[in-house]
Parts: sequence; structure tokens; C-alpha cells
Amino acid sequence: MSGAGRERLFLENAAIAAAGVRSVSGTGDLLAALGQIVAIDSPVYCPGVTPIERAAAALFPVRVDDCAEAAVTVEEVFGAIAETGTLVCSSEGGRAVQAGLLPAHHVAIVRRDRIFDTLDDFFTAVAGAPPTNLTLVTGPSRTADIELTLAIGVHGPGRLDIILV
Amino acid sequence: MSPGQTSLAFRGNSVRALEDSALRAAMKQATDTFGTKRSEAFAPVADLEALRDRASAIREDVLANLPMYVDRFVASATRAGAVVHRANDAAAAREIIRRILADRGARRIVKGKSMVSEEVELNSHLEAAGMEVVETDLGEYILQMEGETPSHIIVPAIHKNRRQVGRLFADRLGVPYTEDPQELTQIARKALREKFLSADAGISGANFAVADTGSLVLVTNEGNGRMATTVPPLHVAILSLEKMLPSLNDLPAFLRLLPRSATGQTITSYVSVITGPRKAGDATGAKELHVVLLDNGRTEILAGESRDILKCIRCGACMNVCPVYRTVGGHAYGWTYPGPMGMVLTTLLTGMGKAHPLVDASTLCGACVEVCPVRVPLADLILGLRRRKVRDRFADPWERRGMEAFGKAAASPALFALGQRLARLFWPMVRALGGKDVAGRMPPPAKTPFHRRLP
Repeated sequence: MSGAGRERLFLENAAIAAAGVRSVSGTGDLLAALGQIVAIDSPVYCPGVTPIERAAAALFPVRVDDCAEAAVTVEEVFGAIAETGTLVCSSEGGRAVQAGLLPAHHVAIVRRDRIFDTLDDFFTAVAGAPPTNLTLVTGPSRTADIELTLAIGVHGPGRLDIILV
Repeated sequence: MSPGQTSLAFRGNSVRALEDSALRAAMKQATDTFGTKRSEAFAPVADLEALRDRASAIREDVLANLPMYVDRFVASATRAGAVVHRANDAAAAREIIRRILADRGARRIVKGKSMVSEEVELNSHLEAAGMEVVETDLGEYILQMEGETPSHIIVPAIHKNRRQVGRLFADRLGVPYTEDPQELTQIARKALREKFLSADAGISGANFAVADTGSLVLVTNEGNGRMATTVPPLHVAILSLEKMLPSLNDLPAFLRLLPRSATGQTITSYVSVITGPRKAGDATGAKELHVVLLDNGRTEILAGESRDILKCIRCGACMNVCPVYRTVGGHAYGWTYPGPMGMVLTTLLTGMGKAHPLVDASTLCGACVEVCPVRVPLADLILGLRRRKVRDRFADPWERRGMEAFGKAAASPALFALGQRLARLFWPMVRALGGKDVAGRMPPPAKTPFHRRLP
């Protein structure tokens, strides 16, 4: 699959799964997009570990160190899978995977070069020595336990935004 | 539960279910919706049959080499830092888990959805030991509040409507009545969030266990499975032996089949792959991970003629299409697992003495075989159990004599005609003696037999 095709497929499938999706180029665009998406949520959990996260963190004056207290998590995630519009969160490198779970809003930044074509490609890459926790995230938390009627934001985030950089 | 106990009251339960119009409406709506969603989800999948073949072959390989894969899983999981326990039966599993929790002083337990934990009746055992066990899957939470058991393996509260849930929440949680599923969901979110953050331990099941890496795989939508396995300091997972997959490379086939078959989703919101507890440098995961591998009769099933039921990946598609399940719902089956896969597994796990009435709970229409993503030959398995029922003398002797008599009559036109005349003659008596239960459900014999009415 070509880079552009992979990117298009990922964004399409993520949108079908009810995630908000944006594609930006460069740090300026990223910060502008973040400013719009996170406008009203506070406080923010942003680990500030990767260069992208460090740039993002500067945007948010009210931050917390405990993701359980945050209204929104802004983080760069491990990667994505085009086939299903899925984000991959990994515990590798001391990342708190639950940061994308506890707050009601999850903003995930994914680098274009971290998109896998298929589930097979992804699992082949990690099958040898998986980290403690790999979580595939596709759309917001949901349930249909009452009369099979879709309800969003059960225990995990009710809102998931993805920014591709 | 062992053979020789009182048998499951499938017939009586069914009659009651048929009279419950709210239940029938809920079942019809739910199973119709599931059927449609499943078909839509599979429509764009190219080579579906090849995908099913592949998944089926992987499951067959796992069963053919189960002890090897289990040993490999135990070694890998142990290497990753988990403590693996083997439980021969339900009592052993309950006691192992109670001891793990009690030894660490755990009193507040949050639970993700696990049918195996239902199978071993874990909650009541832990509650008797003074622990608070909170079900956190929305459907299970509703049922726990109501004191009921699941009636579907994927959507446990499928038999309840929104008004019943609204009244329940208003009564028990002291919230204003609402029947809006989104609002009800938010009420549960708030109530359960506190439980998660203050829990001493989380208990979960697992959809798959990966032999090569010792990983547990949880396929979920709500996020409660993620909570129960990452937020509390202690995580106890309970799963049955046959949930093994050889390697993570085998997982994609099942991730493509399971959500589509279960809920009609391309993939669930969350798939967690957990490999051992939190390690040095990690910021995710329980500090301690215990895995309880339950046998509870699986090894015996594996050696017998019904072993293919152990290929099952618990998607629930067979129940959604089963005309019997769709009509009477899951509670009529009387044990943990309902529907076609449930009647087979229940009979094998609890014994023919207890489960023989369930063996009749099928029309053998084969719809379950059509939809099974891993090609479990359910109709053959059910037929096999019916043969065993007769062999083991659990069949009703009168039914048997009746069938033998009918067989003879059907082979002889003269005898058959005599039977028809006798039926017409004695019908008023049958109706008077048998009452509504017998004659009410049976049409009266025709005055002129069908074949005479043909030109």
C-alpha cells in the first residue's frame, strides 16, 4: 500500500469508528489543531516525553501529573493500524496506557510513519517480545447493553480525537 | 455440578418464557438486530470462507496439542512475571482466587465480564468470605443489582428493556428515573468509577491466551476490562484451558471474526494484550498478576467424541440465529451457557443426568453451523448427544415406544390408516383427559387425511 493510500484508509476507518480525525503537517498546524480540539477541557494530562508531546504541553497551562484527575489526555501513541482505523497504545518506554482510558476525552497524536497496513503487519512486528500492555483502541468507549442501543463513554473516553502528523 | 442431580427444567422454563411477552419482544428485537449487523459486517470481507478455514484450523491444532500449548503458556507467562495456577474444578478455582485475595487483604474487588467466573460461581464464594465484588460490565452490573444471571454470553442483560433498567437504577442508586440508555450509561460510569479507583484487586476473564508469549487477550468495548486489569494493584485472570492460541500472529484471524460474529463490529473499541505484571520502568499494569487456568471437565471433553465444542470462541452468533434461543431466551437453559454452543457445553460439563432435557432444545435446522466463525459442527454435536441420551437411557420411555410404534405404522399403509381412524375416534377423550396442556397445543386430527384431499 502507498503511504497516501495507507493514510487515507486509516483516517476513513477511524472516522467510521466515530473518532474525530485530522491530518496536519508540521508543528505549527499540530498546535493549532490541538488548540481547537482541547479548547474547553481542563486540566490536561500530557506526559511531555516525546518531542511532539513537549511541544504540545507548552500549550496547556493547567496540567496534572495524575491522568485519573485529568479531563483530557493529549499524548503521542505508539502507532496505528489502517485496516481497522485503530490506534495502538503501548506500555513500552514507561508509557501509562491507562492515560488514554481514564479521562473523558483522549487526544492521540500519531506519526504518519507509524501506521501499519494490517493487523497482521502489526502483530508480526510485536509478536516476538510484546511489552506489558498493548491496547488497540478503535473509536470511543461504547456499549449496547441496554436494548442494543449504542451509548458512548461507558468507562473509557466518550470522545476520541486523532491527529496524524 | 455433578451428574445425578435434579435435571434442568428446560421444558417448564420454556413454557414460562413463552408466556412472558416483554421477554419475547426483547429477544426478538435483539436477535434480529444482531443478525442484521452480523451480515452487514461480513459483507465487505473478501475470502470469508478462507478466513473461517484458517481460524478453524488454528483451533483444531490447539485442541490436538492442547497439553503442549498449555505448558508453553504456563512457561511463557511465568517468565513474563505472572503466577499461573491450575484448577481442576470449579471449587478449586474459587478457593485459589479467594486465597490469593485474602492473603493480600483485598476486600474491594472490581470484575470485568467473565463467563468462566459465572461457570464456577465465583462471586457468591468471595462474597461469603466478606469481600465486595462489583461487576463492572454495564450488563453484568444491571444483573448483579437485580440478582439475576446472564441470559446471553455477549449481552448479558439482553432480556431486560430500558424501562426495567431505569426503574432499577432509580430504586437502587437513588437517581431520578430515566430510560435513556445514554443517561443510564453515564449514571453507571459515575458509580463504577469510584469503585475502580478504590479497588484492591481486579478480576477478569480472557478471550485468548497466547502460548508463545504468555499473553492474555481481552476483547472489549466499554473499557471496564482495561480498568480492572490496569488500575488496581492486583489482577487475577480466570480462563478455561482451551482458550489457547499458539502465537500473536494467530490473533488477527480471530480479531476479524470474533467482533463481527458477536456484535457486528469490524473490531471492538478495545483489544488488550497483557503480558505479565508491571515491570521495572513500566507505568502500566497491575503490580501482581495471577492467572487461574480452569479445567473443570475440559480434559475429559477433549478425549471424547464431542471435543469440537472446545473450538468455540464464545461469539454468541449461534444463539442469535437459533430459533429455540430466540424464542425462549437464555434463562430457560438453566445454566451458564445458553443457545446451541451452550446446550452442548452444559451437557458435557454438568453431565447427561442433569442436562438431558437440554438436548431437545434444537430443531437441528443448522443455522448455528452456518454462522459459526470457527466451524464448530454444532448440529452433529447435538445429534451425537441425542444418541447418547437414548443410549444412557435418559430418553422418555413413552416417547421411545411412541416413536417405535409410529415407525412401524408409517411403514405400513393399512396400519397407518387404522391409526388415523383411532386418532379421530379417541380425540374427544384425549382432549378431555389431557386438558389444555396436551390437546391445547396439538391440532385435532383432520377429518380427511391430506393425501386423500389431493386430486
